[in-house]
Amino acid sequence: MLEEAQGVVAQISGEDIAAAARYLAAGLCMGIGAIGPGIGQGIAAAHALDGIARQPEMEGALFRTMIIGQAVAESTGIYSLVVAIVLLFVV
Amino acid sequence: MLDHLGEKLIARVSIGDFVVRFDLITIIMSWIVIAILVGLAFYLRRGLRQNIEEKPNRIQAVLDALIDVLQEQLLSNFISTSLARRMFPFISTLFLFVLVSNWLSVIPYLQSPTQNLNVTASLALLVFFTSHLLALRRKGGRRFLKGFIEPYPFMLPINLVSELAKPVSHGFRLFGNIFGGTLLITVVSAMIPLVLPVGLTIFFGLFIGLIQAFVFAVLAVAYINLAVES
Amino acid sequence: MDLTLELGKVIRSINWTFIFTLLNFALLVYLMKRILFKPALAYIDRRREQIASRMEAARKSEATATALVAQREEELKATHEQARRTIDDATARAERIVSAATGDAKKEAERILAAARRRIAQERTQMEADLRRAYAEIAVLGAARVLDREIRIEDHQRLLDTLIDEIDEQALMVKR
Repeated sequence: MLEEAQGVVAQISGEDIAAAARYLAAGLCMGIGAIGPGIGQGIAAAHALDGIARQPEMEGALFRTMIIGQAVAESTGIYSLVVAIVLLFVV
Repeated sequence: MLDHLGEKLIARVSIGDFVVRFDLITIIMSWIVIAILVGLAFYLRRGLRQNIEEKPNRIQAVLDALIDVLQEQLLSNFISTSLARRMFPFISTLFLFVLVSNWLSVIPYLQSPTQNLNVTASLALLVFFTSHLLALRRKGGRRFLKGFIEPYPFMLPINLVSELAKPVSHGFRLFGNIFGGTLLITVVSAMIPLVLPVGLTIFFGLFIGLIQAFVFAVLAVAYINLAVES
Repeated sequence: MDLTLELGKVIRSINWTFIFTLLNFALLVYLMKRILFKPALAYIDRRREQIASRMEAARKSEATATALVAQREEELKATHEQARRTIDDATARAERIVSAATGDAKKEAERILAAARRRIAQERTQMEADLRRAYAEIAVLGAARVLDREIRIEDHQRLLDTLIDEIDEQALMVKR
């Protein structure tokens, strides 16, 4: 049993470990990186809804501003996506 | 199927020692987008043929609606009407190009040119250079350069980084959204090939495509505004 | 020059696509501007100008119309004024005529009244003259009757009473 395990371990090369680390890192990067934009976009949407509920006639401008704000808040999430893509496909 | 995920076809043209590599499919797709837009332009142009005195015909109504939407949603964000007037063709074409590119992936066998980083980065850099050239021309060399050491001279590196981060985030945002959507659709289609990919395609292709095209154009306007007025 | 195809990775391949996209996009902007946006904007501008000029013309004609209406109103008012004045004149004249007529009538009435009074007075003097003559006759008659009758104190008394009554009656009648 031990010998068998030792044999498996011996087969694992440094490249395999690097690949595993890459996949793990990509997953973590995407998962943790998505928290911030998620919260931020939620806050933006909540306040935009507040504003629309208070002044329904301003809906167009509020929606537009909300979309732009969310898109900017999304940047960090996009960066983490890019990093994840780099980790998966490039490195 | 997923083995080739993230790979793409690259054409390599060598003229003597000079080697040119480009993404053949992306270039073809962007030519398709350009053909669609030029065709649309020729079609809409027919609405302009008739006399002003007459009642607007159907094509003219469509054209009016299109220009109204562009002016209302995008160009009205400019700080001045003269600037909006001057930048109208550029911003409108940017929006329409990105929009049609994003929507192209809905059609089977076609893919969005915007899922290629080269395309989005080049558009973002184009916006970057346009904004700074406009600022340079409007403010003159000294005031333009002075804008980088405000409010204090030691802020120069921070200002430079924040300026350079703009095109990077601008390009990567569009690329990340569209490519991420495509990637997601590919992965989900490999796992669940029925029904679900249709909804995802419509959501990512049409809805996210529209939102991102709008955001791309609005951010271009915002960057130009910032560069020109600050 | 030869063309070969190879596989590349997503991000690592920043290549000539970048430049080609720039060229493509510049071409597209030029084409769109040339084909669509420039004529469309010019067309819209022309239409806006035309609408503005139409509006201006409409405003001008409306102003003219308003002025015309005001003028008409003025004229109408003047006409009304004149009519009123004419009516006033007529009324005044009528009043004058009526008052004149009333004055004439009053004078006539006074004249008639005066004539009547004069006649009454005349008749009265006539009547008084008659009465006086009647008194005399009655006195003569009474005296004759007194002389005729046998004289008795009571008779005399009665006779005289009767006589006085008669005279009184006559006088009353005359007075009436």
